[in-house]
Amino acid sequence: MADADEDAVRGTTVEATQIETDLSDETQDFRLLNHLNFLTDTSSSGLPRRGEKDFEPNPTEFQADVLSASRQAMHNALAHPRLHNPKNQVIAIYAPEGPPPPPAVTPGQDTGKPVARGASVSPDACVYVPTPKGQHFKSMGQADRKGVIWLLPEEALYLLERGSLDIRWPTSITGGIGEEGCEEELSIPMSLQAAYACLIGRGGLTLERFTVYSSLKRIGYAISRAPGWNDSAKAEDEDRPDAYTQPLKRGAGLAGILGSIFNWINDPKSTSSTAAGPVIGYGIHRSYADIYKKLALIPWYDPTLAPQRDPLNTTAPYRVILHVYKPNTSIKKSALPPPDFRIAVISTREATTIPTLPQLSALLESTPLDPPQGEKMERNMYMRLRHGYRNVILAVVDQGVTSFLRIADVAFGKERLYEGVNGPTGPKKGGNFKKKKKR
Amino acid sequence: MAEATSVPKPGMTAVPVPLPVPETAENLRPTRAPRPPRPNYRHIHRFPLPVNVHHVPSVIPHNPLSLISVALSYLTFLISPPHQETYTAYFDSATSSVHVTDEKTIRALWEMGFFGKGSLSRSEPNWLEQEKKRRGLMGGNTVEEATRKRRAERRQLKLERARHERLAVEERLKAEAAARETGSVDGLSVDGAAEAATISVEKFSVKKAMEAKYHERRQQAIQNKNTAGSTDPSPTIDGSSGQLSPVVEKKDVVAASTIATQALDEELNLDTLENKEHLQLSTEETFFLVYALGALQVVDRHNNVAIPTSSLFSLLRHHSYYPPRPDSSQLEVDDPFMISYVVYHHFRSLGWVVRSGVKFGTDYLLYNRGPVFSHAEFAVIIIPSYSDPYWSQTQERKEYAANKQARSWWWLHCVNRVQAQVKKSLVVCYVDVPAPVQTSADIGAEIGHYRVREFLLRRWVPNRTRD
Repeated sequence: MADADEDAVRGTTVEATQIETDLSDETQDFRLLNHLNFLTDTSSSGLPRRGEKDFEPNPTEFQADVLSASRQAMHNALAHPRLHNPKNQVIAIYAPEGPPPPPAVTPGQDTGKPVARGASVSPDACVYVPTPKGQHFKSMGQADRKGVIWLLPEEALYLLERGSLDIRWPTSITGGIGEEGCEEELSIPMSLQAAYACLIGRGGLTLERFTVYSSLKRIGYAISRAPGWNDSAKAEDEDRPDAYTQPLKRGAGLAGILGSIFNWINDPKSTSSTAAGPVIGYGIHRSYADIYKKLALIPWYDPTLAPQRDPLNTTAPYRVILHVYKPNTSIKKSALPPPDFRIAVISTREATTIPTLPQLSALLESTPLDPPQGEKMERNMYMRLRHGYRNVILAVVDQGVTSFLRIADVAFGKERLYEGVNGPTGPKKGGNFKKKKKR
Repeated sequence: MAEATSVPKPGMTAVPVPLPVPETAENLRPTRAPRPPRPNYRHIHRFPLPVNVHHVPSVIPHNPLSLISVALSYLTFLISPPHQETYTAYFDSATSSVHVTDEKTIRALWEMGFFGKGSLSRSEPNWLEQEKKRRGLMGGNTVEEATRKRRAERRQLKLERARHERLAVEERLKAEAAARETGSVDGLSVDGAAEAATISVEKFSVKKAMEAKYHERRQQAIQNKNTAGSTDPSPTIDGSSGQLSPVVEKKDVVAASTIATQALDEELNLDTLENKEHLQLSTEETFFLVYALGALQVVDRHNNVAIPTSSLFSLLRHHSYYPPRPDSSQLEVDDPFMISYVVYHHFRSLGWVVRSGVKFGTDYLLYNRGPVFSHAEFAVIIIPSYSDPYWSQTQERKEYAANKQARSWWWLHCVNRVQAQVKKSLVVCYVDVPAPVQTSADIGAEIGHYRVREFLLRRWVPNRTRD
């Protein structure tokens, strides 16, 4: 369902408009902020309009005014008092030891004990919320048996950064009186800096991963860790079949004999030779399709032949570490649906070159087969090719700047263009104003 | 295209009629007199490869006569096999390139499969035609001329925009000065004056102006059609240029008169116009035509002897380096020619028209049927891959392989953004290089060891996939 919608959007409008309107790439005119309702609270409805851009300074006062107005608008927005209603305040407590293990085991280790912890608390969780309330815990956190919600480091950091969570140092560190029940009042709030220092680097959370996590989270996606999050998690090597096609060999049997007879009639001197060329021979050709079939000498990869690989049988950083769900996908934390997107995070300073074929191949094989489907795809060959058979998203982080790349496994060999169903029929239609120049 | 041609009617002695052998352009193209709006590309380029195809009448089970017609067709071919043309090109070792100078061959290779590039043209070898048109010997416009004209127009409009903007700024400065002079020191009135100025001066948009021009021209064309025959078209043209600035108009007139005198001069030496253009084939195209199709033979420039396919293979491989390696040197398993040829052959064998992608910073462009029919949808970059265990056996080989397949992320983003700008999809094509084997005479076996895998890469904009 979701996939069909997504394809429709991706295939048509997304690509067409991708270049012209990527708002994130534009310089911002902060005068827009003046029109936001919470600032002016006038009853002006409708979206604020963007003005024309000036490309160079000129000596008019008008331009200077516009500039200062824009600057002022930004300052106004920043100076706007942000209120935190004490009713909505959520207090969390940092637990450097991780979720408490079952009573029998001594605390202090945070690996390999989710078994006893009852269901679902990850050993990497290190912040707990005794009295959870609000929207965020619908898609974040894992509850233990007592109903306490445990947050993963990236979740806690994200919530702290957006002002929705107040993380406290545990009294065990700050040395308060260890009185039961009133820990929340006694403990000291954790600063943002301290939170970064404590949480980044915990349980595999790198700054790059957090950047990607928080940027996607901020625009509304729900995100969960994929099994490949832990770099050291390994699966056994599987025996993998070769998914490359082999050039056609003429079969034996009656068909083979008949075929060779016809071959002999068409090409009595048998000039066709792949060894010394010409591959198609000097004989008589019956159709172009036959010629093209003879020309197929190069083995190509057929994604449908490759079985799915264990996601853990990949090497970091080329492995899926985040599962991303669209905002309107309904998710239950206990039973996550298959994700809408799978993301691998790569730091360009660690992996300085683009992936090699084995790395990329393993990464794609670890995702499920997602062949082009739907009516539109059936009609449009380009769309089928663009969609591919498997896909994954690489988040390439270069010193904090993220570029997302969607990589799909296409098989051009599966679309026999020479059969000529999809070819354009007439000359291309020009016109400088309808299309951008492309040729 | 395949089977659509001939279903023999029962009762008729269906002797297979081989499709007309593709001939030179002169025969295919209608004469220029009434000037058709566009050449009939579907007819000109109806053969996807420079190889003749003879269809067999199809067998109709309930009609035994059809069997006879099939047998007859085979028999005719057995007795008198139709002639398959082999074209000739020559290899120039000084420039490591392959040239075709015979005009008939040039047309054939371009029309059937879009091979090669005119040495003096943008793509299609049409220098002679262009030149004739330039000298006024022939009506109509070439693509290059249209582009040139459009660019000049755009530049003109940009200049105009700059002028408009300058005027607007001056006007505003004046208004501001006036507002200051009227004595009102408070900023309000200055703002008011400025506000007034904004309304009066509308921003000049090149895009809008181009569109207006386009519509105007169409209107004019319609008018011309209506009044054709009765009046000379020149007054309407004058009418259109009337709204240009007088300077431009004057220039136009001058240019027109010089062209006219030039044309007169040229008419006197009509015969001297000879075709100075040749077709240049890339090494991959050459080898595909020779080895895969057998439609071409390559001749050594010096001694005029045809180069056999196997030695052409090693010749091109040696020449894929700069400077070319000596003929005696060892062939590498990852010669640039090998890798690019494998990809070229792969896409060609699937029916794509493969042409160089150097304009967009890629290795190849893939056209569906050909550049005259559609824009290239896919741009291909080739990356060698050394995943064969041979390449990771020793440290030295590992380093060599890593070095060969290394590409930086910045390079990839760069290529990707360019493709997005020209609305093409980027295909990253990995070629798996096999372990070196003893060089054999079997080219097919050698090529068959390379494996091709394509990935499609594009930017993902999270803001757009939220739904």
